Amino acid sequence: MSRPTGLRQHASSAPSAPPPGGELDEIDELTLASAGDGEATVAASARRSTRTLALTYVVTVFVLITLNFFLPRALPGDPIDSLIDPGGPSYVSNAEIRAELEEYYGLDRPVGEQYVDYLSDLARGDLGVSIRYNVGIGELVQERLPWTILLITSSMLLAAVVGWSAGVHSGWRRGRPVDSGLLGVFTALRSFPVFFLGSIALFVLAVQFDLLPLSGARTLYAPDMGALERAGDIAYHLALPAAVLATQFAGGQYMTMRAGIVGELGADYLVGARAKGLRERRLKYRYAGRNALLPVVTVTALQLGGFLTSAVLVETVFSYPGMGRLVFDAISFRDYPALQGCFLVLSLFVVTLNFLMELLYHRLDPRTTDR
Amino acid sequence: MFVIGAVLVGGLGVVAVLAPQLAPYDPRASPPPGPGLDPPSGEFPLGTTLVGQDILSQVIWGARSTMIIAVGAPVVAVIIGVLVGVGAGLRGGLVDLLAMRIVDVLLAVPRLPVIVLVSALTGASRLGLIALMGFLFWPPIARIVRSQTLTLRQQGFVAAAGGFGGGVLYVIRRHLVPALGPLLVSVFVAFAEQAVTLEASVAFLGLGDPTGVSWGLMMNEALATPGIYFTDAWMWGVLPAGFAITLVVVGFAFLGVGLEPIVNPRSSR
Repeated sequence: MSRPTGLRQHASSAPSAPPPGGELDEIDELTLASAGDGEATVAASARRSTRTLALTYVVTVFVLITLNFFLPRALPGDPIDSLIDPGGPSYVSNAEIRAELEEYYGLDRPVGEQYVDYLSDLARGDLGVSIRYNVGIGELVQERLPWTILLITSSMLLAAVVGWSAGVHSGWRRGRPVDSGLLGVFTALRSFPVFFLGSIALFVLAVQFDLLPLSGARTLYAPDMGALERAGDIAYHLALPAAVLATQFAGGQYMTMRAGIVGELGADYLVGARAKGLRERRLKYRYAGRNALLPVVTVTALQLGGFLTSAVLVETVFSYPGMGRLVFDAISFRDYPALQGCFLVLSLFVVTLNFLMELLYHRLDPRTTDR
Repeated sequence: MFVIGAVLVGGLGVVAVLAPQLAPYDPRASPPPGPGLDPPSGEFPLGTTLVGQDILSQVIWGARSTMIIAVGAPVVAVIIGVLVGVGAGLRGGLVDLLAMRIVDVLLAVPRLPVIVLVSALTGASRLGLIALMGFLFWPPIARIVRSQTLTLRQQGFVAAAGGFGGGVLYVIRRHLVPALGPLLVSVFVAFAEQAVTLEASVAFLGLGDPTGVSWGLMMNEALATPGIYFTDAWMWGVLPAGFAITLVVVGFAFLGVGLEPIVNPRSSR
């Protein structure tokens, strides 16, 4: 999965010119080099202006849109084949009907023409019609996306709370048993494939102990539920998938925060603050924690893509009715339009968020921009 | 840590190579050697699958598929990444700009969905998966190699080598490769870990080659059994493959951490 941490350390071995800000800068730099958001990689490469950033973003969006169109068409397989699958109930062997279907869906026209159509539809916000469901893809996405967003945001929040606070604590007590213990736990959790962990959680918590629901996002066919009850029911269904998804990412945040805190230990400002008699808690979270936060925010933002793709797996294990399952179903039915729609929504979602995060990052740390 | 990692990864290698000797049954034997969903016994140490194939044999053969992916995908990625990275770093200008924009775009592409999409449409083949993963993995390598190349190019000793008449190829061979070697080893290990997880994920989604043996596919098949969660069959259906994947991932992760001080002496202050 896209775990940026694997590369984070390596970039640091670049014998680059010492960055302007010393210790803290070095950490920023490694983190940024990791999954390579923007170009703020190593000191050697030029700082990028907001305009360059925006340009890259626009090009990326265009390439993704184009890729979304051409990739499915460049590969063998045919949506009509699947629609009239010999095993399926709707199978028609008639070549005429087949041609009619192709005409109806516009699959018989030149690819260039299809592409232009695709672009103009897209400009009007039309994602096409799902061949399988015969419903507008926009509608499908509207129905599914909120569940995925709910799943992702809640598990991100969970991962951040757990990862950040554990990281601060661990780094502050570097080398102590607490530190080693936490390090071990987070490393172990991260090594479990998310679907394996999900399956274990299901078996143990949902089946053996019957604590949490087995699948789905809410209790269906329960019209008399009150709003509050409904919200509780959704949270109850969300708990396990969100927690499982969070375990995959809390580790990365924990490691980054821990490394940041370790880098801050013994800094002059901490000695000074301690000499002033400030309480340990304040030193830990408000002083060191805050200074170590920037790389952690970046890592968290960069994990977004990973969250989305891991959500596909988690949603599969828990039968959670989000985008992930929609993508998966669309693929198994060779539902080109639905696939294209899902890909576009998901990838644009990730790219846009990364872009916004990068802009935010420039605001947070003006050194990464050339004025 | 390095030792544990090396042992785990080495163990995987040994099992992968010796799979035909180690496995008691043909993992995809047809007709199957035992009854379906048989609990672990002397005859079938880890039980049997829904159709009655031996789980231990499948785990052993799965090691081979895993090993092939874990080596193949990073090899492809490192080759492309080094070529593009060195090329961009040395040539500079438009080539560099273009290469780095391509890197930016490819980095933005979400990996799992693309792999899932392509595998679904082409029908999964191991070679295709390796090529695809290599293609998705190279951009970060290219970026690291490029920045290394750029900094190295400005180093005194490289400039001196140029001054003494050393050509571009000489500089690559004499200075770039030794400087990049350790880095590439640890990148390789990191990607091997990711490749194992990705392959397992794709197979878990049911997109593995159904005639092949893969740990992810084993879990997919086990969980596709109706009502599996309500029987003990869950344990021998899911746990062996799941723990096999986990151990290999831990192995590569530990190996990577263990290599860190060797690759990057500065980090162990």
